[in-house]
Amino acid sequence: MVAALLNRFFKRSSAGHRPIESLEFVSLDVELTGLDDRRDSILSIGAVKMAGGRIALSESFYRLINPNVSFSGPVVTIHGITPSDVKSSEGIETALRDVIDFCGDRIIIGHCIDIDMAFLNREAVKLTGRPLKNQSLDTLAVYKWLLSRHCYKGDVPLNPSLYDIAKRFDIPVDISHNAVMDAFIAAQLLQRFISALCQCGVKYAGDLLRVGNAGCIITRGEISNL
Amino acid sequence: MILDEVVQFLRRVPPFQFLSEKALNAAIKGISSEFFPKGSVIATNSGQDGDFLYVIKKGGVKRLLDSDGQQIVVDYKGEGDTIGYMSLLGEDVPWSCVKAIDDTICYLLRKDHVQALIDSDGQARNSFSKSFLHPANFDTLKEDRGFSYTCGEKILFSTPVADIARNNPATASQHISIREAARLMTERKTDYIVITDADAAPVGIVTNSDLRDKVVSLGMDVNLPARTIMTEAIHSVDAGDYCYEAVLKMVKNNVHHLVVISGGCLWGVLTNHDLMLLQGTSPLSIVKAIEAQSSVDGLIPVSNKINGIYSVLLAGGARAGNILRIITEINDRLVRKIITLAERDLGSPPVAYAWICFGSEGRKEQTFKTDQDNAIIYNDPANEGEAQAAFDYFSSLSKIVRISLLQVGFPQCPALYMASNPMWRRPLKTWKKYAADWCTTPSAKAVLNTVTFFDSRTVYGDETLLTAFSRHLMSHITGNRLLLGKAASLSIKNAPPIGFLKTFVVEKSGEHKDMLNLKVKGVAPIVDLVRFFALEKGISTPTTSTLMRIEALTASHSIVKEYAEELVHAFEYIMLLRIQHQYEKIRNNLPPDNFIRPDKLSNLQRRTIKEAFQVISKIQNIVIERYREMIW
Repeated sequence: MVAALLNRFFKRSSAGHRPIESLEFVSLDVELTGLDDRRDSILSIGAVKMAGGRIALSESFYRLINPNVSFSGPVVTIHGITPSDVKSSEGIETALRDVIDFCGDRIIIGHCIDIDMAFLNREAVKLTGRPLKNQSLDTLAVYKWLLSRHCYKGDVPLNPSLYDIAKRFDIPVDISHNAVMDAFIAAQLLQRFISALCQCGVKYAGDLLRVGNAGCIITRGEISNL
Repeated sequence: MILDEVVQFLRRVPPFQFLSEKALNAAIKGISSEFFPKGSVIATNSGQDGDFLYVIKKGGVKRLLDSDGQQIVVDYKGEGDTIGYMSLLGEDVPWSCVKAIDDTICYLLRKDHVQALIDSDGQARNSFSKSFLHPANFDTLKEDRGFSYTCGEKILFSTPVADIARNNPATASQHISIREAARLMTERKTDYIVITDADAAPVGIVTNSDLRDKVVSLGMDVNLPARTIMTEAIHSVDAGDYCYEAVLKMVKNNVHHLVVISGGCLWGVLTNHDLMLLQGTSPLSIVKAIEAQSSVDGLIPVSNKINGIYSVLLAGGARAGNILRIITEINDRLVRKIITLAERDLGSPPVAYAWICFGSEGRKEQTFKTDQDNAIIYNDPANEGEAQAAFDYFSSLSKIVRISLLQVGFPQCPALYMASNPMWRRPLKTWKKYAADWCTTPSAKAVLNTVTFFDSRTVYGDETLLTAFSRHLMSHITGNRLLLGKAASLSIKNAPPIGFLKTFVVEKSGEHKDMLNLKVKGVAPIVDLVRFFALEKGISTPTTSTLMRIEALTASHSIVKEYAEELVHAFEYIMLLRIQHQYEKIRNNLPPDNFIRPDKLSNLQRRTIKEAFQVISKIQNIVIERYREMIW
């Protein structure tokens, strides 16, 4: 018993002490019919794997999902996915199983990842009875932290969009949101943040997760961030 | 979808642009991207990162080489360039590390996949070797980048077999006996002999290992014909083939010797040792080879390899300033080694001394082996006996060094500006007197001596001696308007070769009719002007190179401050053109000279060189204006 506890203790602390370069991430983004996590549904999931600061360009994931509900309105112009695009797509169950599989035990990262996680967890609970076990990391929180530490010049904006931040780092962005391309952008942001974090003394998993878990406050009006 | 962007990018970049879709997809299997902030190390040669081929997506890098704890920039690479290509062949290229000079994004291609592609797909292999063979593909990029960046490592892909193979190999008729073959090999000091038929066509090769494995260890009769032990299946390459082809042939046929054919006739032999040496044609390996020698004879082959470095550096797109620095470092080590060898034979010197060099060597601007320009300053002897001992010792030392330098390829100075000339081998107090004499009565000869020794630096020994001399010289120059005036007029004596009609002023007659002398008309005017400015501001040894002087003068000299960038650009450009020209000559077994034909230059080259000349002309006019009364 004591041995098991000790074991767990060491395991946890050694995991927290893993250097960032040795961590496995998956950058993830979902597109939604809306932001209400009780009524709205997932329309697409995009993800790309990372090993430390290295983006595995050929290991990406993208699925369109038929929400089996009607949707319309301004949200369609954001991601450009129309009801007819997803009419023949699979339901959430297969896509969810596959994305859980794809993520493995990697740390899930993304811009305002809490929102994506909320939707994924809701579906995961429905499907498997429990939420995803993965730890998550919000790139917006990391960015704000770096700004507050003056690692980058400029004030801390209230809620910059993913594309606002991307432009600042010269990362090319498309006009319309696509889950896998947005995941790719967030991955590229994390790439840059990692080297800045390293200079601020954030070098290990535990510290990184603390920095990136400040939570992301977002109001319903600001769905352009998704 | 993410990969689309990668494919789009690689489709514009050699060698990937030449690959079929299928091959490209195979090459990028498992591709990843990484971000390197400015200043960070991307890869080291000791390399845990040796598993990847890096393609620069964005940004730029420099490759560095460790030399004596100092890092020398070897070259720069930019967007679309590939790092680590050569190591695909399992060859160890001794660049010590690659650093980001800007925020840089690289694509990381897995070497195992690329290797598999090269091994299995002949067309892809061709595309790969072709794009590294023909840097022309990069010309548009290169022009944009002002010559700083160019394509990847390509020693094997840019060196013709004839450059490294041994010409005129030992041959023998097929009727010769084993004993006779062995004797010829000993005589020619070679490890192999080519056996030829009645038409002098090669039919086989006998190597040392044939003699060992087939004759000695089996107790074979040495009077039997040599053809009984020769390797019959002769594999050949053409003299004009690139070494990469030769490597493939050796590997494919599991042989270590290839016969080199030129115009259908036997031209030479290429061994895997030659190829290894080529791989070792890096500044670092040559430096190591120099240090490892214990005789002048041993230095000769190493010194002959130095020219190979130009091929590597030029192919790598190195800037003239960097080429000069690397060559200077190597030549310095060669000279130092020769002096230590002489000291070993002569015993330690009776008094401390400095072995100094001047001229292009002094300015660290020596390109291909140029005249010896050296001298010795030794500590003032305490008494008559010591004076005599010093005289004798340095007389012998300078003589040995002069002969050794000649042996490794440095011709003697026709004007006898060498330490072996007793005039230039003196105790410090005599040197100080020289300085005083030159400066108080500045005859043409005296002014020439002043500016010549102003370019001196210590190559070996006690550098405080040269510093003391130099300080003394400066004390006589500062405020000496007569001398400075003469130095100023010396600095404008070579007018830039641009005529009123903006055409080049070329040689009007003689052997070099219609040619342009790059040294006299291009390099010398810049060197002379910058030296004059340094003289004026008292910037002396060890800041002797033109580029270092410009840097040091930028803060203090108003003319340099205004034109520094243009001067550097002009100097680098003309120097590079000169190095390229001389290297071409050497490759074609001609003595390097300084004459180029302006009509053979490309439009861009002509335009750039004209701009360079205009800068020189502009500055010369300012000097004339400013020092009018001093120049008279």
